[in-house]
Amino acid sequence: MNNKSKIQTCTLGELMIYQIALSIEDGILAFHGFGSPLVQLALHLAKHSHAPHLVLVAGATYGVNPAPAFLTPTSNDFAMNRGAECHLNIEELFDLAASGRLGRMFLSGLQIDKWGNMNVTRVEKNGKLTLKLPGGGGGCNLSCDADHVTIWTAAHRAPPDDQGHRRYRLVESCDFVTSVGHRTADGIHRSGLPLRGQGPDCMITDLGVFDFNYDGHLRLRAVYPDTSAELVAENTGFDFPVAENLTIADLPDVALIEFIRRLDPMKIHQRELSLADRERSFDLAGA
Amino acid sequence: MYTQDDKRCALGDLLSHVQNGDCVAVGGGLSWREPMAALRELIRQDIKGLKLVGSAHGIDIDLLCGAGVVAESAESYVGFEQDFGMAINYRRACEAGLVKVEDNCCYTLVQQLRAAISGLPFMPIRSVQGTDFMQLHPEFKTMICPFSGEQLVLVPALKPDVAILHAHYADQHGNLHIEGPPVADILFAKASVKVIASVEQIISREELAQKGVTIPYFYVTALCEVPYGAHPTSCYPNYAYDREHTAYYYQATKHSEDGFRENYLKPFVYDCKDNKTYIEAIGGKARLSCLEQWDFGMEQWMKLYE
Repeated sequence: MNNKSKIQTCTLGELMIYQIALSIEDGILAFHGFGSPLVQLALHLAKHSHAPHLVLVAGATYGVNPAPAFLTPTSNDFAMNRGAECHLNIEELFDLAASGRLGRMFLSGLQIDKWGNMNVTRVEKNGKLTLKLPGGGGGCNLSCDADHVTIWTAAHRAPPDDQGHRRYRLVESCDFVTSVGHRTADGIHRSGLPLRGQGPDCMITDLGVFDFNYDGHLRLRAVYPDTSAELVAENTGFDFPVAENLTIADLPDVALIEFIRRLDPMKIHQRELSLADRERSFDLAGA
Repeated sequence: MYTQDDKRCALGDLLSHVQNGDCVAVGGGLSWREPMAALRELIRQDIKGLKLVGSAHGIDIDLLCGAGVVAESAESYVGFEQDFGMAINYRRACEAGLVKVEDNCCYTLVQQLRAAISGLPFMPIRSVQGTDFMQLHPEFKTMICPFSGEQLVLVPALKPDVAILHAHYADQHGNLHIEGPPVADILFAKASVKVIASVEQIISREELAQKGVTIPYFYVTALCEVPYGAHPTSCYPNYAYDREHTAYYYQATKHSEDGFRENYLKPFVYDCKDNKTYIEAIGGKARLSCLEQWDFGMEQWMKLYE
């Protein structure tokens, strides 16, 4: 392909997909859920590159190691399930998680707090439902049972409105805890809960990459070539520690970018990004 | 046990098994194999006050909410993923207080159905602790496990009054064959008091046995042959998801409840006395053949998502 020599930049979406992929260990069983094109692509990218022994379970179809024809905007589609080696069903996937055999799960939230608790169920004002969110699928169960959780969101940036108010994605506390992180609203540490999984260990956003410190608190670990710790702080609804060796996140190489573009010719993953973020790109040569 | 030799009936009679206020489990999931023709008939029959239980769903639950027949939702997800986003009728009905929000999670649902299937009052799970589902569902209890000493959550048996499913094939005895992901259909069939099914095609018992029985006949109360009965959701390999129609649907949900009635429910539900009339309304054979030709090549397939 001639394109090879032409690829000189990667997009924000491709960077996020790569960073999510880096959180995936080889040889584990991981599940990508539905409504998550960035994650779906990350699992395929990981399996294609550093994690060839990944047991990749596709969300909604429960197909194992499929080779999607192309990414579709709906997850329970034959195109996503093409070439699956075998199939689980809904109870088998969740049984695997409950028995400690789901190595990693990927979860997001319309509200994400500093302990990695997330809300995709309901937003309230003074105890009254003001926004019904779609719901978490199996996220609640898997946040408890999966060995590790990768959090991602493409809506970290919270620009101020006309009155200067920001509506944060990363909030001080969630209106409803759909999936559990490292500390409950009443301060109980995860280790005090009888949960099997160890909780979230990283978060990839449109502004940077976080890990969790010894306390279970989000900590900024890397920014992107066009972001800074200050920018991340402005867009976050709580204070957070910054790693001493804060770095600029690695970019994917040309071969990996080509793989993503081949698998997602309709650029479905960009629908997770804001219109402005779809324009962000990074020079591979400068990286 | 449903043992009658011939369970075939008309679509109208199929839905007579659903009563006002029933707890209903809808088969399929997201944009895949939802019993849409049966749900449209349910709306025409003005069956109301339903309590819905299920995993990840989309247009099926949203349509029922838009028609005002739902009192309570314990689905784990209702939406259109990255395709269109939030389910607007569902949201509107929940936020107006017309639909009581009783969200559940997939594994909790699975365990509740398994309890019903096993004839047990509850099943234990380890998850859910530390989340607000414990407050949302005060019926979930905790206990200390007498074997391990761990604190576990007990979730009560869930026995839906009726499961509404759409399958590819059935024989007249009621054996069902589903191709591709069964989602929660098998669990729903085994746990529910009644199972009603629409199917693409009714075939002989021998032909069905050869394809394989996904759900044995004695779970099935009644069935009806409704070709394209999952439209606009997909029923691969027969036909793909009708994104174009779903886009029209989504637009119609945007403005108001009344706008949805006028622009969608009237032309595609109330004015269609049966599924044949509906198929004409969505573009007839020409539209269907586009959806059936998904496997004519990658380009043709991708075009369906544009």
